[in-house]
Amino acid sequence: MHNSATTKTYAKRMLRYNMYYNDAAFFTKAWQLCDGKFSKVKMLSLDRLISSFKSPYEIRQASKKLAIRFLKVVDGFGAVRRCKSYFEAIQTGEAGGHYPIAFAMYAHSQGISYEDALSAFYYNTLNGIVTNCAKLVPISQMDGQQILFDLQGLIQELVNSQADMDEDMLGNCCVAQDMRCMQHEKLYTRIYIS
Amino acid sequence: MESRININVERDEKYSVLKESFHNAPYKLTHYGAPRAQAHLEMIIMSASPGIMDGDRLTINVDMKAGAHMKLHTQSFNKVHPAKTGSFQDTFVNLNENCILHYVPHPITPFKGSIFKAENKIEMEASSTLIWGDILAAGRIYMNEAFLFNKVHMRTTLFRDNKLIFTDNQCLKSAEQPVSDMLFFEGYTHQATFIYSSPYAAGMKQEMDEILAGEYEDISFGFTDAGEDTILLRALGDNGELLYNFLSMLGQMCWEYTQHRQASIVAEENTQNKADEESEVIDETLSSTKKKSVVARKRQKRSNAA
Repeated sequence: MHNSATTKTYAKRMLRYNMYYNDAAFFTKAWQLCDGKFSKVKMLSLDRLISSFKSPYEIRQASKKLAIRFLKVVDGFGAVRRCKSYFEAIQTGEAGGHYPIAFAMYAHSQGISYEDALSAFYYNTLNGIVTNCAKLVPISQMDGQQILFDLQGLIQELVNSQADMDEDMLGNCCVAQDMRCMQHEKLYTRIYIS
Repeated sequence: MESRININVERDEKYSVLKESFHNAPYKLTHYGAPRAQAHLEMIIMSASPGIMDGDRLTINVDMKAGAHMKLHTQSFNKVHPAKTGSFQDTFVNLNENCILHYVPHPITPFKGSIFKAENKIEMEASSTLIWGDILAAGRIYMNEAFLFNKVHMRTTLFRDNKLIFTDNQCLKSAEQPVSDMLFFEGYTHQATFIYSSPYAAGMKQEMDEILAGEYEDISFGFTDAGEDTILLRALGDNGELLYNFLSMLGQMCWEYTQHRQASIVAEENTQNKADEESEVIDETLSSTKKKSVVARKRQKRSNAA
């Protein structure tokens, strides 16, 4: 990855081959849980499953931090019982904490449609990838905006087919991406969360 | 063809020994070197077949009783032949208390047009140690068959004390994914995964942080604390033999570290037992009133220790 074109390829692939089978799929699982007979036990078991897939330490930590921050923010908008119980479970260590669950549970409680919520979830991730690339590759803000715009079609396509995803592929790992995440732990200069 | 390999290992005093086992054609299970040449058990799985053919299914069952230690070897690269329906390999491992299993098989080479599904399920007690590796080649590189397999799906699930702690799911479809490129093999031709799951994982991680601090010329690798006393290492390279040697070296390091840590715990327990026995001898020589107070104190000490 060294210019705008390769950044765009990277972003596309991250959405199609990584997100689609991982966080977006976990989001869908959490959404289905909220749609059906929700129970804390089922939520915790989904949380455990996600923890088992997210092997790189920093990825697991990031998922937890994002979940905690998101839950804190939305708590200010008005309490949602499921979100509160998830927050408490993360605090006590009962749950690992993963933001796809937190995001899905809150969006569901607000009467937002599944398609809209999942599109926002994809867009948010893409935005994160592009922001990081803008700093690291680097690419210009204009090129970044162009990628965000150009990948709208892909997001739509993935959202439409998400529910039909092959169950066998859940949590599918992209080996080099996984390895790079692990190598990141040892880098002198690392990406930060502010 | 349906094949099966069953391996049961028990601890007999100092030695880990093979109890009832089973294998059928084309596989053979035998001692690797002389049995009881060392305290732990060394077994090797051999095959008379040139590889895994279409429709073949191999099931490997490993059951280890408390305190058993085993290194399980393979003989050669696992060649997966072209398939219409697919070939399968299932491995089920059960480790009781204080077991150590070392299993780093040779790389899997999926031929052009092959379909392969490997399912590994490991259930272990938290006091046990698993040293596990797998290596996947992109195909027969020198036959210009890199990334021409149809589908390779490998899934490993690891449970400690009945709790799911690790899942590795990799489904590679060469026609649908850019498997040779960014996110996947990144231009390399081989990938390796190594797992060390053990009560001594935190200590081992520190050792690895030191030992693996440098960079290697021919392979790229990363390792992490995968949570729940498990270390995960992933590597990419261009040479299966080299990655196999790398994982074997890591495996040996983890093996020795685990044995050392386990032995020091056993030694500690022995000293404690010996001290208790000695104090009991003293007790007998004491008067009955005094004895009571000593016993009470000893009970107190034990409950404190507990």
